[in-house]
Amino acid sequence: MLRPGGYACIADADGGRRECDTFTCGHCNRITHVAARQAPEDIGGLCKVCMALICAACVGRPCVPFLETLDRMEARARFRREI
Amino acid sequence: MAKYAITGQQAAVSGSYKTVLDVFATSGALRRGKVFDVLIGTNGTPADNFLQWDISRMTADGTGTAVTPNPLDPSDVAALATAKANYTAEPTITANSSLLNVGVNQRASYRWVAAPGSELLFPAVAGNGLALRTLSGGYTGSATGGVMYEEQ
Repeated sequence: MLRPGGYACIADADGGRRECDTFTCGHCNRITHVAARQAPEDIGGLCKVCMALICAACVGRPCVPFLETLDRMEARARFRREI
Repeated sequence: MAKYAITGQQAAVSGSYKTVLDVFATSGALRRGKVFDVLIGTNGTPADNFLQWDISRMTADGTGTAVTPNPLDPSDVAALATAKANYTAEPTITANSSLLNVGVNQRASYRWVAAPGSELLFPAVAGNGLALRTLSGGYTGSATGGVMYEEQ
């Protein structure tokens, strides 16, 4: 795939190697393995709001970039510590 | 932004998920973490069994053996996050938070490496982190894991 977000490799006991590109969902941070010649619509899509690749589970859901989710989690924890 | 390596094992794989290795933010000294390299395998008697591997989010620690994160650059300071392995009482795992789920043969090994910007992230919130877990229907030996992560 063009500009993959990672690479996965399984080294089998018989000496074989299976390798594939991966991408990390921009909304939920989940890793998706992309097999060769796999149809793009089968593995997720591109969020036209944040322009990030997203997994199949996040397709059709509102755009909430994962970095924003992290910021909110940290802000909530800071607030709890302060009260 | 220092990078660290941690390794660990789960001595008794079973039919339910057991944590091999985890890393999480510690109360008081909080930093966001980015996992960018995961290597998994087994070191028991070779046989043909499946192992299902999973990385999920955790929110509270359980009972495990402490692991000291090794800085990839020796001049870096000690890690602020806590790492543990070989859990006997599971950490609190967030339901439906699996970030990586892959099944591999016991004789095989699996490695995932992230491109910059595509790491698995955990927040700078006490007790929050990522847990590498495994289960097997037939294998009851030892499973090993290695993780590299960055503290921000």
